Amino acid sequence: MKYQSQKIAYWFFAAAMVLFSLQIVYGFIMGFARIGYDVLHDWIPFNTARAVHTNLLVVWLLCGFMGAAYYIIPEEVERDLEWPKLAWLQYFSLLIDGVIAVGCYHFNIWEGRKFLEIPRPLDYLVVVNVLMFIANIGVTMWKGKRSTTTSMVLFMGLLFAALLYLPGMVQVRNQTVDSFYRWWVVHLWVEGVWELIMGGMLCYLLIKLTGVDREVVEKWLYLIVGLTFLSGILGTGHHYYYIGTPRYWLIVGGVFSALEPLAFLGMAIYALAMAKRGERKHPNRIALTWSLGCAVMSFVGAGFLGMAHTLPQVNMYTHGTLVTAMHGHLAFWGAYAMIVLAMIAYALPLMTGRKLWDTPLASWAFWTSNIGMLGMTGALAVAGITQVNLERRMGLDFMLVQKEIQVHFIGMLLAAALFTVGIGMFIVMFFRHGLPNDEALGTDVAGDLVAVGK
Amino acid sequence: MLSKSQAKTFFVGGTVVFSAAFLALTYDSMQQIPALTHDDKITPAVERGKMIWEDNNCMGCHTLFGEGAYYAPELTKVVERRGKPWLKLFLKDPQKMFPGERKMVQYGFNEAQIDDVIAFLEWCGNVDLQGFPAKPPLAGKVQNVVSSGGATGKPQPELFRTICVACHAVGGAGGTVGPPLDDVRNRKSRADMMAWIANPQSIKPGTPMPKIDMSEAQLNEIVDFLLSLSGSVPAAVAPAQPQPTFE
Ligand code: HEC
Ligand code: HEC
Ligand code: HEM
Ligand code: HEM
Ligand SMILES: [Fe+2]
Repeated sequence: MKYQSQKIAYWFFAAAMVLFSLQIVYGFIMGFARIGYDVLHDWIPFNTARAVHTNLLVVWLLCGFMGAAYYIIPEEVERDLEWPKLAWLQYFSLLIDGVIAVGCYHFNIWEGRKFLEIPRPLDYLVVVNVLMFIANIGVTMWKGKRSTTTSMVLFMGLLFAALLYLPGMVQVRNQTVDSFYRWWVVHLWVEGVWELIMGGMLCYLLIKLTGVDREVVEKWLYLIVGLTFLSGILGTGHHYYYIGTPRYWLIVGGVFSALEPLAFLGMAIYALAMAKRGERKHPNRIALTWSLGCAVMSFVGAGFLGMAHTLPQVNMYTHGTLVTAMHGHLAFWGAYAMIVLAMIAYALPLMTGRKLWDTPLASWAFWTSNIGMLGMTGALAVAGITQVNLERRMGLDFMLVQKEIQVHFIGMLLAAALFTVGIGMFIVMFFRHGLPNDEALGTDVAGDLVAVGK
Repeated sequence: MLSKSQAKTFFVGGTVVFSAAFLALTYDSMQQIPALTHDDKITPAVERGKMIWEDNNCMGCHTLFGEGAYYAPELTKVVERRGKPWLKLFLKDPQKMFPGERKMVQYGFNEAQIDDVIAFLEWCGNVDLQGFPAKPPLAGKVQNVVSSGGATGKPQPELFRTICVACHAVGGAGGTVGPPLDDVRNRKSRADMMAWIANPQSIKPGTPMPKIDMSEAQLNEIVDFLLSLSGSVPAAVAPAQPQPTFE
């Protein structure tokens, strides 16, 4: 850590850890409801648990991205944040906004559209909040000593993410139009601009951890995010097959979304190649493990499992089944949760000055959580495929089929328990690092320079 | 090999071209959607129904157009599948229809709200979804092991087909909340049946079977139908749901 103002990142990461834990709690509430123990129904019905589960996911990931930006940008452009106090204001207002929204869901108050459940008045607060964040980062970059591709890509990702939130706020009377613009947020975020954020973060981590020449890494970054937009924008069509939109989306969506995995494949190959090529052996091996793990798992979850149901012929039967939930879990985990955890694993020792990177607990956290998540994905896959065959292909009643697949949720919960143990270890590691402090100022304290051999 | 500035051009150029194409297709879709969705049929009732749908986040358990949660039935074609009388009864008291099953929230909607929700769902059911949800392609290849023991009687009256089968099986097909009715004539006389169906609660307070509004003629038609059933429950019906086999 070089700059005083980078410390704010720690608080964003800490909030992310807390919200992540809560997300998992609500995941278990739904998991138990699905095996017949819907004991909390009167207080937390399934739709409440689901809205909290997915919204907390998005909020903790955004906290992670914002923390990452507050950490990366000063270092990349070589100056302190423009308005450190504004960053604090933004931090608290984001958390308050989130807490109010989650509270509202428990009282049947929401916008009631999947992933965009936040009540409309709070939407405006989100917009103001994000404006504060973008302005702070933007002005810091503008006044910075140098401008780098990594910081530009990261910034553009965050800016576009903010802009794309707006179409999701319009209110219309036609359910099809409603859905149409909902996807501008949901799809164009995860399969568009968030990939820029992920690419920017991954690029930064690879430069720091492998020592490969910045020019080479950044050239590949351009190619990969170019591929992302080339396929991902028109790839939105894979959500426009069956919602009342014109027929040509079957072809446009089918062709372009089938190209989307290429960007993820590119990301995986690029990360592995850079790691192999890098001559520098940074002592923080676990941060590199998380970074490479992210590149690989995002390909498996988003690229491979996305491809599995993206063709219209397949999607006709898998649309809106547990197959989607299977893909949603591994994709979010691999691409976005893991990049945030990678960033934390990298930045935490540098902010606190405690080199806890070589402990067994750190690697256990990585392997346990990943194996747990793969187990959950497997259980959801078996449940999803069975549902598709019995309900969609043979025409058995929905609820009858749900009873048939109930047993797979026991498996899913066991895997989820393993996953939770892994995340628990990660969080223990997190708090063992202690708080960010001034002794950690100056990279050599925590090993970044030592690693370069200076 | 590609230089960094060429890579940048690829990124910027690709983004501009494909964003423009996407916006053009969006514009065209917006022109076509009104016809595909029968926008002119969006009455105030449909609009109110949509508000109820959103205000209660029904999408947090159900899917509509295949979007939402996977915990409760897909509702796009529910009006066609269940019929309005059944839906009215169900929405009045969702937990009563399937006691002990996975729970829906008891919203306590009034008649007007129920009509709005049904209007909204009916509008959704008529949107051109390019063939979704597909007819189950293997349904024809799956046959019931149970023979249609009770299906020898008169054709099922409309009301029976849309409401009663949700809870009662006839000929091995139907719900399991109440007993199969193939052999009900061995247990109940005409008068008993009339009294029971007209108002189950008055005969056995607390029974899960609801009072279903119907005319005298409909009641007679249903009882005639029940008395016409052959009188034996198919042997394999004990678990009550048809077991599929494959040809
Ligand atoms: C907590 C989850 C939950 C919420 C919220 C919910 N439902 Fe349901 N709903 C269910 C379940 C579960 C069933 C299936 C009951 C059964 O068959 O045992 C169901 C069944 C239905 C059915 C009958 C479907 C069929 O094919 O049998 C309709 C119609 C329906 N719900 C409408 C709604 C509407 C309208 C809303 C919002 C106002 C809503 N539901 C909110 C869980 C929910
Ligand atoms: C919500 C589920 C439900 C619906 C809908 C329903 N029933 Fe029932 N019915 C039951 C249950 C449960 C019983 C068993 C009553 C008891 O013992 O409490 C029953 C009992 C009966 C019996 C007596 C059966 C016997 O073996 O003695 C008849 C006859 C009957 N129902 C007819 C009908 C008809 C006709 C309809 C449609 C108009 C109908 N039911 C709709 C749940 C339902
Ligand atoms: C990191 C990237 C990705 C994430 C986080 C992600 C996540 C999700 C989520 C959460 C959904 C459910 C959305 C909803 O119903 O509201 C979904 C749906 C879908 N995703 Fe992805 N996804 C990613 C990448 C991809 C890719 C690359 C493809 C294709 C190759 C793909 C194909 C699909 C398809 C076809 C659906 C619709 C499923 C349905 O019809 O129910 N996804 N995705
Ligand atoms: C560890 C315990 C977890 C459990 C038990 C769990 C369980 C569930 C359940 C039951 C659903 C609802 C599916 C339905 O509609 O029926 C769900 C949805 C979802 N969960 Fe989790 N989850 C867990 C962790 C996670 C994690 C770590 C992530 C992200 C990294 C995640 C991301 C999601 C997403 C994106 C959805 C929406 C999927 C869709 O709409 O297709 N969950 N989860
Ligand atoms: Fe998508």
